[in-house]
Amino acid sequence: MASKRFILKRLLLLVPVLLGVATFVFVILHLASGDPARVILGQRAPQEQVIQLRQELGLNDPLYIQYGRFLVDAAQFDFGESYVIAQGNSVRSVLADKIPVTLELALYGQVVGILLGIPLGVISAVKQDTLTDHLGRVGALSGISVPIYWSGPMLILAFSTYLSIFPASGRIGSTIFLDNHWTLLGMQLPLTGMVTVDTLLLGEFGAWTSAVTHLFLPAMTIGIYSMALISRMMRSSMLEVVRQDYMRTARAKGQGSKITIMKHGFRNALIPVITVIGIQFGSLLGGAVLTETVFGIGGIGTMLVSAIQSNDFPLVQGTVLTFALLFTLVNLLVDITYSYLDPRIQQ
Amino acid sequence: MSTDTATTDATALEDRTFLDRLRSSQFLSDLLSNRLALVGLTIIIGMVLIAIFARFSYDLGALRSSQLGTVSDRLAPGWTGTGAVDQHIFGTDASGRDIYKRTLYGAWIAIKYGTVTVAASTFLGVALGIIAAYYSDLTDNVIMRTMDVLLAFPSLLLALALVAIFGAGLWKVVIALTLVYTPRFARVVRGAALKVLEDEYIEATEALGAKDPRVLARHVFPNTLAPVTVQSTLNYGLAIIDFAALSFLGFGAAPGMPSWGLMLSNGVANGLLTGKWWMSLFPGLFLAVLVLGFNLLGDGMRDALDPRMRETVD
Amino acid sequence: MADDSVSRRSFLKAAGAATVAATSTAGCTGLTGGGGGGGTLVYSRGDHPQNYDPQQTTSGEVAKVTNQVFDTLIDFKPGSGGELTDGLADNWDLNGTTATLTLKEGIEFHNGEEVTAPDVKATVNRFIDDGYEYFLGKNRSGYSSVTFGDWVDSIDASSDYEVTFELTQQYAPFLRNLAMFAAAILSKAQIEDSGSNPDDQADLGTDPVGTGPFQFEELDNENQRVRLSAYDGFWGDGPNVDEVIFKTIGSNQTRAQDLINGDSNITDNLDAQSIQQVDDSDTASVVQKNGINVGYMAFNHARKEEFRDPRVKRAVTLAVNRSAIVDDIYQGFATEADQPLPPDVLGHNEDLEPYPHDPEQAESLLEEAGATDLSFELATFSNPRGYNPSPIQTANQIASDLDAIGVDVEINQFSTFGSYIDYTYGGRHDACLLGWYTDNADPDNFMYVLLHPGVEASELSDDQRHISFDEKGNASNVSAWVNKDYVELVDEGQTTYDDESRREIYLEASQIAHDNAPWMFIDYAELIRGVHESVSEDSYTVSSVGGPYLELVEMN
Repeated sequence: MASKRFILKRLLLLVPVLLGVATFVFVILHLASGDPARVILGQRAPQEQVIQLRQELGLNDPLYIQYGRFLVDAAQFDFGESYVIAQGNSVRSVLADKIPVTLELALYGQVVGILLGIPLGVISAVKQDTLTDHLGRVGALSGISVPIYWSGPMLILAFSTYLSIFPASGRIGSTIFLDNHWTLLGMQLPLTGMVTVDTLLLGEFGAWTSAVTHLFLPAMTIGIYSMALISRMMRSSMLEVVRQDYMRTARAKGQGSKITIMKHGFRNALIPVITVIGIQFGSLLGGAVLTETVFGIGGIGTMLVSAIQSNDFPLVQGTVLTFALLFTLVNLLVDITYSYLDPRIQQ
Repeated sequence: MSTDTATTDATALEDRTFLDRLRSSQFLSDLLSNRLALVGLTIIIGMVLIAIFARFSYDLGALRSSQLGTVSDRLAPGWTGTGAVDQHIFGTDASGRDIYKRTLYGAWIAIKYGTVTVAASTFLGVALGIIAAYYSDLTDNVIMRTMDVLLAFPSLLLALALVAIFGAGLWKVVIALTLVYTPRFARVVRGAALKVLEDEYIEATEALGAKDPRVLARHVFPNTLAPVTVQSTLNYGLAIIDFAALSFLGFGAAPGMPSWGLMLSNGVANGLLTGKWWMSLFPGLFLAVLVLGFNLLGDGMRDALDPRMRETVD
Repeated sequence: MADDSVSRRSFLKAAGAATVAATSTAGCTGLTGGGGGGGTLVYSRGDHPQNYDPQQTTSGEVAKVTNQVFDTLIDFKPGSGGELTDGLADNWDLNGTTATLTLKEGIEFHNGEEVTAPDVKATVNRFIDDGYEYFLGKNRSGYSSVTFGDWVDSIDASSDYEVTFELTQQYAPFLRNLAMFAAAILSKAQIEDSGSNPDDQADLGTDPVGTGPFQFEELDNENQRVRLSAYDGFWGDGPNVDEVIFKTIGSNQTRAQDLINGDSNITDNLDAQSIQQVDDSDTASVVQKNGINVGYMAFNHARKEEFRDPRVKRAVTLAVNRSAIVDDIYQGFATEADQPLPPDVLGHNEDLEPYPHDPEQAESLLEEAGATDLSFELATFSNPRGYNPSPIQTANQIASDLDAIGVDVEINQFSTFGSYIDYTYGGRHDACLLGWYTDNADPDNFMYVLLHPGVEASELSDDQRHISFDEKGNASNVSAWVNKDYVELVDEGQTTYDDESRREIYLEASQIAHDNAPWMFIDYAELIRGVHESVSEDSYTVSSVGGPYLELVEMN
């Protein structure tokens, strides 16, 4: 089947890219200034201890050996141990702790974006060239022109500082602590790390409310940006479908209602929108760095910034590599979905 | 992949080339008849004038250094009723510096470094893209697979990773962002160039013994101008946002510099919860308006070049 | 807002702990019945480390927590400037190269086992002995050598309550080293249960078991919090609250606001603006204390020949308006420095005064020294540190003041402190901004560590003014300055046990350092904390070394 071959081809193409990504990330460690041993040991350690640690870390080995070791480890998702931020903890466990935090934020942001963006785009298309449409288009264009690190603070000023409706930072009330597992039919199961889910699994509704109110502003911040992108794509995609179908229908039947065509065309119009949503999800993970900084959320983004600031190379490597992998996989998934929905793509 | 859509869109030009369009002025008249694009152009020209004005009217040293002792910190704009109407019309920041002057100067910083970044990545991208398209096989593969690797990272993340190597600083951020944007141009240009090369005409020229550079300069390069111009304009806005973002995160402008990103970061750190809204509002507003200007113009140019490309997102 | 609600479970847990505390006071020496009102103490801070092993860190953020969970053999007296008091040992003696300590009997770890000499031995061996089965290896921190490694030759723990350290040389600061947070006593049982692989040992820091006033309950990395509960078997005074939560708020201003709202009770690391914010509020106040630290600009004598002439260094110092730096840039939360030792440290010379700001004299000194075309690179870090709240602005000020007398300074700015330390410790700078805060409040911790070349005095000649970075034995000395008189005095101070004689030695050494100006002395910074009114007045004292002593804190 053609589509199977398509997927296989794309997967094979992934291999050299990922190898390149890993190499690039390896180079980061070796070009970045600062002797890792001194970075770990800090201002106080004597030189002998630094020299000894270099040896123990294998930093005196020839470069190709270090590179080989890195590739083998990275292939098993082993990025070594954090130097500074979570000294002694494996980068993998740090990422496992932090990814749900960022993922939760990105997911809710995207949901807000989809729920608002698709209807807006459809309305704009249906009312093409009316005032509503013009306002919608300029609004959407403004939405993508406003950086997250400005819309976030503006939302905080309005809803937190002045109206005191939502908290300005954090993920949950500071005195609320959750158990670290939940029980179903007598089995102890691990939690997801996403507070809005965990609080429900544990049946802590007070805590759930706290989590939701904390998540509201950051999710809106991401959501506004995402809404703007999605509504723009939805609008143009709808119009494109109409343009094609309208002509065909017009030829066949003489004339057809534009609205009717839009109703039929909606499903087809969604196809390119899915692409945008997918692609955008990847950049949302990147944009989370900014949102987390504004809202003081301890996810991957804020951690990466402090890892860079404190020369925590393994943590930087592991995080960047994981993100690149996620980003690439999401894009692949989008391409594959797209090819199923629109078989013309497979050439 | 992410930019495939952009590539197909950009190359899906009608048979008429960019230069043809310019010659018949169809492009210009299309662009000028697009009111939103005109608004965008006006915004950009206005901001450039502001930037030049600020650059030559204000002393950077004075804008950078703390005014505490002579001016109160976090003073509300005068017109809000706290002082004379024209006193610190954008208020002062945590070091008692005038936000109005700093915001205006911020336009200079944004446009200066944004221009260098976009120019550098356009140049590199066009060069790499055309080379990749013209010399097939190995050269093409080496160039484009390298671009693929760079494209495999979310852009801000790649910029952060590069800053981790180069260290912080405005010019270092220019280098990092140039590397981030170059692959996008390379892809677009390669796509457009390939299309031209497939043209029999060039095969014919080659058969007649024309040398490589001439073919590239006379035939390939002009035909890539259209998609490159659109991409540059849209990328301008992005560059300004990303540039400020890195300063916001503490990796761009040095402390004290009147960069919008840094001013916003100061606003978040020192004015958010105490309701000092002017610290965040004005620099962010200028930033957003300038970016909107580039997006409006970019959209308009795309429409003028190819009405079918209307509103697609890259 | 939902913020303030306490989940039912943690409330019940806290209530349960209080009941236990009330019924099991018998046998505990220091538990003050009814002194405190219980409750939860929330301490907010700017960063959240993820490993709380005192032997794996150089971070003060980690020490804040481990000091609650662990005890040291000897402790610093709360609120004093480094005076020693009882820890797990109630008797100690340093004689020649032998240090003998007697442990208190009956002190139990949080896991119920009694503290005995083998615990002390296992703790030290884990940190420094690569022959020990449970050696921490590559995970040990930079304190490994400076706390024990450089000085301890052997430990005898043959009796249950007596520990004898045999030192490699006479070393006056050793007892103070035992009071450093990195010298906290771990449980032998926990060390051995953790397994012999250094990576397994590293996990100890995610569930540390000590003898301190609070037990480690929960490490919540996702939400950047640490929760501790009162240990009712604590041997000393307190604890007076049921629970301590360390929470993390990165932005200074948000942290200040959180404190003002009463959502946290104590906070630290405030900058000038947030200090103002707390000071202006009705609900919280600012508490300050002299810190034991010093901020300076080090001249690199090895690299820059002109700096070997004291007149040049004095000229640079005179040209820079240091009082303006302290007043305007540090906004008065520091005092001007005039010597390496901060006030409160043994041997600080009260007779010395900061160099005045005198550009004219500076110019004539430069002329005299024939260095009128002086120009140099000034390396600096970017992010605030305790002794320097605004390094870039400091560097800019220095550059512009020197520009005024015709000295050209090129600022070389580093974005990360790690790479900055690597650069300066490698001796690649002409001059650099640095600083130091002490962990043991001993003069040797400044005078030797920062200005002694780390080689034998006999290897130096009388008129030698510098040493190369290759020959130099002391990594943290970034000025590579040599003055044989100074070296001999500091060597003598290191082996002198009588406090009065030591003071005399360091007074003289301080004078030499002041006159030769191997650094441009900048400041001694103050420690600032924000405290909410819910904390009983005076129950929280800021400590310049050790602490915070949260077991003494009472809530209203």
